Amino acid sequence: MAKQIYDVIVIGTGAGGGMAIKTLCEAGLKVCALNAGRKLDPEKDFRFHRMPWDMKFRGLGDPKGESFGYMDNEYTKAAWDHEIPFTVAPGTKWFWPRCSAVGGKTNFWGRSSARFGDIDFKAASLDGYDVDWPLTYAEIDPFYTRVEKMIGVASSVQNRPSNPDGSYLPPFNFRCLDYILEAGCRKVGVPYLPDRCAQLTQPHEGHPACHYCGECTTGCDVGAFFSSPYFLLPKAEATKNLELRTNALAKNVLVDENGKATGVAYIDRKTKQEVEVYGRAVVVAAGCVESSRIMLNSKSRRWPNGIANSSGQLGRNLCDHLYGESARGYLPQLLGQPSFPDHVADSTIAWMPRWQNLNNPHEEDFIRGYSIYPDGGCSEFPWFARGLDGFGSSFKREIKRRYPTPVNFGIQAPTLRSDKNFMDLDPEVKDPYGIPVARMHFEWDENTLKMWEHSKQICAEVLKAAGGELEGSGNAPEIPGWSLHETGTCRMGNDPKNFVTNKFGQTHDVPNLYVCDASVFLSCTDKTTTISILAFTLRTSEHMIENFRRGDLKTA
Amino acid sequence: MAGQGVHRREILRILGTAAAAASFPGFSKWGFACGHVGNATLHIKPPEYRPQFFSPSEYAMIERLSEIIIPSDQTPGAKEAGVAEFIDFMIAHDPEKQYPFRTGLVWLNSHSERLHGKRFLELTPAQQLSVLEPLGFKDKARRGEELGRKFFASMREYTVTGFYTSEIGFKELGNPALKFYSESPECPHKGDPEHLHLPQTKS
Repeated sequence: MAKQIYDVIVIGTGAGGGMAIKTLCEAGLKVCALNAGRKLDPEKDFRFHRMPWDMKFRGLGDPKGESFGYMDNEYTKAAWDHEIPFTVAPGTKWFWPRCSAVGGKTNFWGRSSARFGDIDFKAASLDGYDVDWPLTYAEIDPFYTRVEKMIGVASSVQNRPSNPDGSYLPPFNFRCLDYILEAGCRKVGVPYLPDRCAQLTQPHEGHPACHYCGECTTGCDVGAFFSSPYFLLPKAEATKNLELRTNALAKNVLVDENGKATGVAYIDRKTKQEVEVYGRAVVVAAGCVESSRIMLNSKSRRWPNGIANSSGQLGRNLCDHLYGESARGYLPQLLGQPSFPDHVADSTIAWMPRWQNLNNPHEEDFIRGYSIYPDGGCSEFPWFARGLDGFGSSFKREIKRRYPTPVNFGIQAPTLRSDKNFMDLDPEVKDPYGIPVARMHFEWDENTLKMWEHSKQICAEVLKAAGGELEGSGNAPEIPGWSLHETGTCRMGNDPKNFVTNKFGQTHDVPNLYVCDASVFLSCTDKTTTISILAFTLRTSEHMIENFRRGDLKTA
Repeated sequence: MAGQGVHRREILRILGTAAAAASFPGFSKWGFACGHVGNATLHIKPPEYRPQFFSPSEYAMIERLSEIIIPSDQTPGAKEAGVAEFIDFMIAHDPEKQYPFRTGLVWLNSHSERLHGKRFLELTPAQQLSVLEPLGFKDKARRGEELGRKFFASMREYTVTGFYTSEIGFKELGNPALKFYSESPECPHKGDPEHLHLPQTKS
């Protein structure tokens, strides 16, 4: 029997993989998608409106178990992958929950969806640090628009210099705390606006509107926010051009004697057998660090340092978002007020989009900028009670009185590209399937830590200007990795000597190998990554389809 | 899954809950005994909760302490919410917390004997409060009671956690997570954006 050759093998089914799969299948290409984990069953794997008292440990998880972050909890434990380890270099801390289920982290993501702009793409020209991106905003703008129409993003037109506007569903309504903090921001001179949230405030393209239960990051069982399994993969399946293989842990890209990609070797996690699958082109979309691990592990005579790594940049230039609580406190105006559904979007109703270094790239003592996500009000659990004194009826009444009042400000600040921050393959440690694991080398840079200090001061000012009481801030930022926004390990650029891919995500060395995730981004900017992964991947996929049409890649 | 109604989801949730109930130790006050499930056939109500970690006399102290921290007054408290069951269950699963809890209870008994000549549960309610107030109120703290304060803080944290993760605790706060909403909830005081003139509620 002749071996089957697909048009494209896609590794990963998250934002990048899902978009590539959908676009390629709809163009008539035969796609085999490899996904390291299983398909999720929303009834079992999502929170599915279970209440704390429905859970063995009230949703807090087994005290003996390790905590893996806010999304990976007792409600969704089985959906996250704890089998494939990673290591850290001495001195590095890295906290990194990973979801290898079909759809990846799009099942549980935070949904904030701001476009990158020229202020990001041309940041190097503005402030002299690092290099510009190899494309302009005008080139990617139409792809953002198409993605926004596809997935539905709730926001408003804001005319912010750092944040190009897009095509939006009606924004979330402001809650009491939003109006109060907005007034505080106005006094301090910083913006307070509806976030860009990929969560449906009205029915959209066959998907139902949100029912505002507030459980988004534990999975949406009606698909009222964008996720690959609800929005992308069904469309690919409808074409009959997709074969999805689950529990297929990609090991390495296969190459011919000229170094061209011929397929992928993967481990079937059920049988533990190594399987090969062949295609005319390969898309690596396993998530920034995992994609780089697969490519570094794809060693051959032609590519002794990993496939498409003649530049030596594969795995380098790792950037991440610093997260942390810049300020917390409460709003006395709301003491004793009736409870209000504040937690309905689970954190992303409002934002304070980057306002620093807009007129002059050096107006602050740091370059670039950060954004803030404010939140608070009546949450599922009254966390503030831990800081209250006393006991008895007065204690109980005080908890109820304070219930609508807490507020907090979370920072999202980009790191700068640094030679110190990268991933490589651990020379000794292997995963249970014998594949070398990723080893992380990372530290926060001085510029980012200055943003953290700056944010603590400004958010405290905002809270006070809003009439709030400041109670403190996080002692330190979250551990690196926490944001799940790694970028940069396969950066795109025009010069093959210094960059892994060209501006279309096509690797310079191997023309039939493409990268479709945040690893191609030159930096992580102050914005989240998912909508940009979708927009860049749509562009990459259409570039690839064009190459098939032109005959540069031959169809099956 | 897309487009399925809340009704179907509710049924599935109840079925899932019933299946999970089989693996539980039989709580009398929380979990599946609560009315939340809304289906009489699913009531699983053993006559009495059997502590998994604490001895009967220790467990009685945990019950009493939780009821003092969040009392039953105009609204139900820790007793109705079965908070002692929650604490016992969590500590039974948390070896690192077992020793501090056990020694905390021992400290409280010997401290009660030092002050009033009797073990904690044998004291009058007024005496119990007089022992606990220096442990639970910062401005009443006394030197030499650091161990007791630490234990009481831990006891208070577990009581708060157990109470406000129960259905009774959700209702106490009017927790909005008990409902779905047909549209994005909006501030009802838009004429007063700084919220400086809200009607004050009785507290």
